Amino acid sequence: MTPPPGESIAAMIRQTPVPPDSQTNRDVMNIFMTTPGLGWLLLVGICLGGLGGGAAVWIYQIYKGLGIAGYSHPIFWGAYIVTFVFWVGIAHAGTLISAILFLFRARWRNAINRSAEAMTIFAVFTAQLFLGIHVGRIWKAYFILPYPNQRALWVNFKSPLLWDTFAISTYTLTSLIFFYVGLLPDLAIARDRTTGWRKALYGSLALGWQGTSRQWKSHNRTVLHLSGLATPLVLSVHSVVSWDFAMAIVPGWHATIFAPYFVAGAIFSGFAMVLTVMIPVRRIFSLEHILTNYHFENMCRFLLLTSTIVTYAYFIEYFIAWYSGVEAEKTAFYLRLFGPYWLSTWIMIVCNGVIPQLFWFKKLRTHIPTVFVISTLINVGMWFERYVIIITGLSREFNPAVWGHYTPTWYELMIVAGSFSFFSILFLIFLKLFPVIPISEVKELVIHERAHASGQPAGAH
Amino acid sequence: MPTLLGVFTTPAGVVQAVTHLKGRGFTNLDVYSPAPFDEIEEAVDPKPSKVRIFTLVGGLLGVVTGYAMTIWMSLDWPIVIGGKPFASIPPYTVIAFELTILFGGIFTLIGLLVVGRLPSLKVGPGYSARFSAEEFGLVVEVPERDVAEVDGLLRASQATEVSLVAA
Amino acid sequence: MPEIHRREFLKLVGASAGAAATVGCSDPVSKLIPYVIQPEVIVPGIANYYASTCQECSAACGLLVKTREGRPIKLEGNPEHPINQGALCARGQASIGRSYHPDRYKTPMKRVGDKLEPTTWDDAIAILSGEIKRAGNRTWMLGGQTGPTASAWIDKWVEAVGAGGRVVYEPFAPEALREATQALFGVASEPVFDLSGSDLIIDFGSDFLESGPSPTEHARQFAEARDIAKRERGGARFVYIGPRLSMTASNADEWVAAKPGSEGLLALALLKVAIGAGGGTQAGRDGVAAPLAKIDIAAVAKQADVPLATIERIGKALGAAKSPVLLPPGVALASRRAAATARAVMLANWALGAVGKGVSIPAPRDGKLPSYHQTLALVDAMKQGSVGVLLVHGSNPVYSLPPSTGFSEALAKVPFVVSLASMPDESSERANLVLPDHTPLESWGDAEPRPGIRSLVQPTLRPIYDTRALVDTLLDVARAMGADVAAKVPTDSFRALVEQAWAGTDFHAALAKGGVFAAQPGVEVTLVGSAVDFEMAEPALEGDGDFTLLTSPGALLYDGRGANLAWLQETPDPVTKITWVSFAEISPRAAEKLGGLVFGDVVEVETKAGKLSLPVVVRGGVRDDVIAIAIGQGHTVGLWSSGTDSGHPGEARGVNVIDVLPALTDESGGRAWLLTKAKVTNTGRHEKLPICQDSQNQRGRRLGLAVPLAELAAGDAHVEAEHGAADAVPGAGESAPGYPAHGEAAHGEAHGSHEMIKAFDASMDRAPDSPYRWGMTIDSDKCTGCSACVVACYIENNISIVGEEQVRRGRHMAWLRIERWVGDGNLEGGQDRLPIFPDAESSSTVDIRIAPMLCQQCGAAPCEAVCPVIATYHADDGLNGMIYNRCIGTRYCANNCPYKVRKYNWFDFALERWPDPMYLMANPDVTVRGQGVMEKCTFCVQRVASARQIAKNENRVIRDGEVTTACAQSCPTHAIQFGNLVDKTSAVAKAGSEPVRGYHSLEELNTRPAVTLLAKVQRGTVEG
Repeated sequence: MTPPPGESIAAMIRQTPVPPDSQTNRDVMNIFMTTPGLGWLLLVGICLGGLGGGAAVWIYQIYKGLGIAGYSHPIFWGAYIVTFVFWVGIAHAGTLISAILFLFRARWRNAINRSAEAMTIFAVFTAQLFLGIHVGRIWKAYFILPYPNQRALWVNFKSPLLWDTFAISTYTLTSLIFFYVGLLPDLAIARDRTTGWRKALYGSLALGWQGTSRQWKSHNRTVLHLSGLATPLVLSVHSVVSWDFAMAIVPGWHATIFAPYFVAGAIFSGFAMVLTVMIPVRRIFSLEHILTNYHFENMCRFLLLTSTIVTYAYFIEYFIAWYSGVEAEKTAFYLRLFGPYWLSTWIMIVCNGVIPQLFWFKKLRTHIPTVFVISTLINVGMWFERYVIIITGLSREFNPAVWGHYTPTWYELMIVAGSFSFFSILFLIFLKLFPVIPISEVKELVIHERAHASGQPAGAH
Repeated sequence: MPTLLGVFTTPAGVVQAVTHLKGRGFTNLDVYSPAPFDEIEEAVDPKPSKVRIFTLVGGLLGVVTGYAMTIWMSLDWPIVIGGKPFASIPPYTVIAFELTILFGGIFTLIGLLVVGRLPSLKVGPGYSARFSAEEFGLVVEVPERDVAEVDGLLRASQATEVSLVAA
Repeated sequence: MPEIHRREFLKLVGASAGAAATVGCSDPVSKLIPYVIQPEVIVPGIANYYASTCQECSAACGLLVKTREGRPIKLEGNPEHPINQGALCARGQASIGRSYHPDRYKTPMKRVGDKLEPTTWDDAIAILSGEIKRAGNRTWMLGGQTGPTASAWIDKWVEAVGAGGRVVYEPFAPEALREATQALFGVASEPVFDLSGSDLIIDFGSDFLESGPSPTEHARQFAEARDIAKRERGGARFVYIGPRLSMTASNADEWVAAKPGSEGLLALALLKVAIGAGGGTQAGRDGVAAPLAKIDIAAVAKQADVPLATIERIGKALGAAKSPVLLPPGVALASRRAAATARAVMLANWALGAVGKGVSIPAPRDGKLPSYHQTLALVDAMKQGSVGVLLVHGSNPVYSLPPSTGFSEALAKVPFVVSLASMPDESSERANLVLPDHTPLESWGDAEPRPGIRSLVQPTLRPIYDTRALVDTLLDVARAMGADVAAKVPTDSFRALVEQAWAGTDFHAALAKGGVFAAQPGVEVTLVGSAVDFEMAEPALEGDGDFTLLTSPGALLYDGRGANLAWLQETPDPVTKITWVSFAEISPRAAEKLGGLVFGDVVEVETKAGKLSLPVVVRGGVRDDVIAIAIGQGHTVGLWSSGTDSGHPGEARGVNVIDVLPALTDESGGRAWLLTKAKVTNTGRHEKLPICQDSQNQRGRRLGLAVPLAELAAGDAHVEAEHGAADAVPGAGESAPGYPAHGEAAHGEAHGSHEMIKAFDASMDRAPDSPYRWGMTIDSDKCTGCSACVVACYIENNISIVGEEQVRRGRHMAWLRIERWVGDGNLEGGQDRLPIFPDAESSSTVDIRIAPMLCQQCGAAPCEAVCPVIATYHADDGLNGMIYNRCIGTRYCANNCPYKVRKYNWFDFALERWPDPMYLMANPDVTVRGQGVMEKCTFCVQRVASARQIAKNENRVIRDGEVTTACAQSCPTHAIQFGNLVDKTSAVAKAGSEPVRGYHSLEELNTRPAVTLLAKVQRGTVEG
């Protein structure tokens, strides 16, 4: 352009008008920018109740001793470890969706990975609570860290529990990093569209992100590498958790299939949990056009796959028990089906093995209410899977003189309920604070589509 | 030097503009984009990102730390446990593996911050919320005499509008 | 608070490092104060041992009282004492608790209104002497048996104060037996049985291993008689005749479940067969010809409900036996014809030449003996109001006399009742005046279990409370009544009295040794003329009903005197493994008849005298027409004896079966117990019982093995074969400590896993420079299951009592438990939550395997590997160490222990279950564990440590036998051997290298245990 005579070029600087904001931004922002409704507050209230109850019981338990739980000799692990494993399992969907599906370039993941990652983190937090709740002397629990001390006492790196400690904390940190890195651009979006405390919050978290190509470049690379790291991590974490059992000689625990078996189970329960949570979310915030049935159907396919793997593992366990010829193993597995805990076992088999097979039918895969019910049942089934493995194993061990029995006490159940409240509260807050859908990733798709569909005006779709 | 801002709605246009500008030797340019687009980043700077080095260093550091810590601590006060050797590699591999991931992850994050020049307090020239919506912005520094040419060049590659954001 | 009390100990001990190691850093540090004037005999941290005598039962075993800084902390057997020779039974072990019992009367008490209130001794003595003056000869004394010295003096005292008289009352007194001996030989004394030389023992239900006249002694003799190593062809055979497979019977080779009451007839029948087979002495044959003529064996077989063939077979064996011993019925089978029955059995003994060999008749003892009919007479006198003052001591008649005697009402008629109990019981709570007695540990005294064996009781503990010895109390009363009265009982004190009585001996030598032991041989006896003419008929039973009520003495609670000792309540019943509660045993068939009763279903048992309801245990070890209930529970007073401990003060714990017994005696006037039939009805209620062994079916898992005698003979070839198998295993380099014997087919399962077993040498599992690898050998052929070791372990290691409710929830804390297995077991059971009692128990060929289970101190311990914080590790001397302070309570180790010997502190048991002044008896060498830590057996590492210290000072290694564990020390049969496996000449190593019998529990798991078990020997049924 040529400047009008007698004027400096500086005079040409003028504000360019800001065009209307993008549809995607508005859709997503609406979810967490709008002030919480009565329903939300009600939910939070209920959860706070549950959380309070659980916390109170925990304090009482620390004061009085683990005896208030249903433990006995020989059943030294109970509902706490069961629920711990359950939550660690839940924690697997997020990173899996973000990392593995990212590597496989499964585009459909974009719509769900944010919420899945959030779930991962909250689930890990919840799981870690149980490590504290489970130990008998939490005031000495720091002994488990290899900190330098003048007594030159170190820890036992041969113990699966220590592997656990490292695996879980690594998983927590890595997932947090992954979550934050993914969130960064969206925080910038939020920063640009908010005022007041929210602007301050998002602004400081966004670290001055402007989406320059340099930033995007390193961002892409980071996400790629994190995915590369997280993928083996995801597989390792639940393997390690499974070794807590597989490394012990307890009949019903001591099996080489445990690592893959638990990983499959974890993904299974994780995806189920994502569905159980996201179906209502999508409904409430009417995100049908972003979170389409296509996404849900894909996840159902995943559930079908993992369910089959898990069922296969159940079968193999019995086969090996018989094939090993070890009477203790045979007995343990026989009594798993027909012993005092038969009900739990059958719940597990039906919920995890039989019901998911319904997903062979496209009709059911795509019928959202059905999907919701089934995914919920799977969550129940997976809790019982851990219950069955841990309790039946311990109750029928090598020495029949010390066969024992276990029933969770109300105290334990309150703590378990408390953990669900804890998880829910975290997720509810997340819904109201951060974009539940990864905006920039969705936008990427939108822009691509638009670019391909030629001749359309900008910003319209 | 004057800085021109071109606003685009498609990555293709941005890429075209960037290639032309670079062809003409205007290398001091940057792009704001609402979402990651490999082609744009390619066009602006074809060199691979440095983040990879961070990850590598972190990972290596992790694996070394893992084995070193476990083995040293077992030998610092050797205690017989379950009739196993003091330092037994297989179990320690688990620890080493976890630390590899952990350090790798942390270093990668550091890599992002360092390479991506984050956190940054100054707002780039011509940056506005529209670029966190669905539009692309290309800012380029040009000598005063070339303003007109560049303006034309930007418009030629489907810039919806071109404006001068700094003199 | 124990933490603090323990610290007080530590002050005294002057512990520094020890204290630091055993106390959490969070605890406040307090000063260590040395003695200002060091008592000569007390060296802080070093135990002193004093010889004394156990007062729990009439056996009068010798004690070594282990004291630390002036406090007895443990009772052990006195090795020099001829009766127990170093061992001590569960009841004796637990009796230390009496001195530190929280319930004890702390001062004299007098009744004000309806409750007892503290008073002073002067006041109490004044009151009593006044009352006695007033009552004069309407004063009576009722009490348990005391030592000879005290007994004689008390008789003098009774005379001096002009009292009406004194009755000695013991619930279990061998009056019938004395009567029988009198009738047969004209000597009124109870015979002494020596089993050690016998080759055939036939027990007509005396339960000599649990509640007999001298259990510890008999257990030792029994083991000697059957010692595989010393006796040829497996040593003595043991036939048990009785309706219930008791603990004693579980050790038999053959169980003849005869109809209760038919013992006398069986004895004569067996004698007849034996003589027919050429057995017995010449004199014997002639002597018994007359009575035996009347015996029709077939008829007896019918009456006794025993196969004729069995009687023939056992009779022939009896005839062939060189030195048989027949034991007359004990309390459980004391019927209304107890005297005749005892007479029949003793007659058989005599005719078979046992009298003078295995059976000796001691000279009759002088002094007052227990008498039931005198007791009943006194009760009548009380009813008629002709008793003004009643002094009750050393017994609890309100509890142990059947209500049908009307004692309780009679007592109400007595204007002034005095109790000299040291702890509240049903009787003392009814008293107007309580003059608390010392406990045996605080008091002087003596005992004479047999002529010539004189045993001393010396105080080893300064009286904790304001109490006085019985004799001193009476002495004060006499003095208070006037110089003339006092003059008739001249002595300054009980101590002086004892010294007078022992004037002839070197008193101090006797004190040091525990007494003067010069056993006199039994008197020569011949059959008196009238001996053989007596009618042996079946006793009549009161009432009707399908069941005969069998009341057996509690294996641990005895006549109920053990009920207030928490250790005896918490130690599982040796047969059913049930703690704390009452239960009735019935057979599966009976349970079926009653509508399919299962373990824990509550039934109502009704007799003429009353009814009571209690849960049942359904097991094969009982006759179908018998319901067996143990004596000892059902107290309504006392911390642990009553419901108080479970939060129901004043309520009974369990039921007192005596309540439903009629007040009847045998012909001799002695007390009878096998008296009545009972109606049993199902109440439809169900209870969860506090049981400690969930299954007596071992499912063929290598926990308790047995080897037939035949195979033992052909042992070596068998071992060679095994070695072949072992060497085939890769890495099976070291010498195998011996391979398990094959039991019967049932554990083919275990055989399937044989090739998985790696041979190993336990002594290798130590630090290369360590001269020790501590190990243990447990001979299940010698172990009778008496549980002495269990109680010893509790007291040595400060193990917490957890109480009924916690045991019910499966939180029993015992480090050492005795597992009872019925045969090799099968694959049945486990589908429900009920404990498993295999029907195989009903077999007449007894195959009960008793395998004590404690930490195996594995060389490749599964527990160590999984602990994240190294709270448990393998020590240089091979022990599996446990560091309480390091434990964070993940409980992973316990999950991974296949033996399940790790116990967890679910609550702060130490704090909650050690009320004052019990902490005084805690062993200062053993940490009291707090809430949230795991604990387990470490082979009494504190004992090992002190021995090592001594050895170190003399710079040598610990000698074999220099140190032993509490359990091994207490064992009457030396079934448990402890020592150093590195020293191949040590007793433990030798015993462990038994080629055929040696095995390790669950060894296919390759945990390399340091405990070697020796398989039980199956001697089979007796053959003629």
